[in-house]
Amino acid sequence: MPTPPRSVLEVFLGFLSIGARSFGGVLPWAHRVIVEERQWLARADFLDVLALCQFLPGPNIANMAVVLGRRWFGLPGALAGFLGLMALPFVWVLALAALYADWATQADVRAVIMGIGVAGGGLFLGTALKLGQPLARKPMALAIIAGCFAAVGLLRVSLLVVLPVAVVLALASARQRWL
Amino acid sequence: MLELFLYFGLLSLLAVGGISSIMPEMQRIVVEQQQWVSAAEFTQLFAVSQAAPGPNVLICSLIGWKLAGLWGALVALAGICVPATALAWWVGGVWERFRDAPWRMLVQRALAPVSIGFVFAGGYVLATPEGLGWGNALVAVTSAALLYATRISPLWVLAGGGVAGWLLFR
Repeated sequence: MPTPPRSVLEVFLGFLSIGARSFGGVLPWAHRVIVEERQWLARADFLDVLALCQFLPGPNIANMAVVLGRRWFGLPGALAGFLGLMALPFVWVLALAALYADWATQADVRAVIMGIGVAGGGLFLGTALKLGQPLARKPMALAIIAGCFAAVGLLRVSLLVVLPVAVVLALASARQRWL
Repeated sequence: MLELFLYFGLLSLLAVGGISSIMPEMQRIVVEQQQWVSAAEFTQLFAVSQAAPGPNVLICSLIGWKLAGLWGALVALAGICVPATALAWWVGGVWERFRDAPWRMLVQRALAPVSIGFVFAGGYVLATPEGLGWGNALVAVTSAALLYATRISPLWVLAGGGVAGWLLFR
């Protein structure tokens, strides 16, 4: 049974541990820490907050830190989540820029970073599989997942177009109890 | 500084689906319109931000840092984050208030598959920086399978990706 964090400090440390390790993308780590390691939220609840944050503009997981921090501890919680998420990566990226800016475009370094990025993409796919598991027996849900994936991932249609269409279709299906 | 804050603040509210969706627009403003950094510098800063952990909005703090040092970095990061997170704060509150409302549960059921589709799409985009090929398909599918089916730490998966990248993408 998931239990929310007991203190603002715990929120800060949780998001700090997300930021610290989130090479190749933040979402897989957010899911790992919030649902699997610390068990603050059930998977369905995580997906609910994630969906909300995807529909809002701005960095998804920073939004998530704010929404969850607020739910648990109001403004202090939101600030703790946001600052925890950003603190280490901020220091990291400036240090990297100061030390290695000239290396970053070098072929060997670029290849390694690209490999990490591709593996990070794989972690997103794995996380999506976990999140999607409960929907696997609902044909309409699978069709919507496939449609959104194809439109945004394969065809690179702007979210500003895909989002309204997908939401209208999904709401209509949910009303028909297909979802 | 104010300009930096305002431009990134504007971009922040346009970034539906995350920062990657506004990268072309950001490049246009930062490189062509304001000429804060050159095109080559922009590419380099993007590469550095990819190498660091954390949200990819950090490219903004690098641009701020180039312009005005540490304060520039903080102001740029605040610009890209504050408007969006303020909106998230407010919407998040509304979302909590209607937690048990029937319409809210309907919306929740509706959004779940849409959201998952976007996560798949995000993964695909990240995994195909230079188009789909055997090499990156293999690395991405292996990583996805390891995350899904085993308890191996994703850090090992990423490290493996780095090694594979060095072997495959040079």
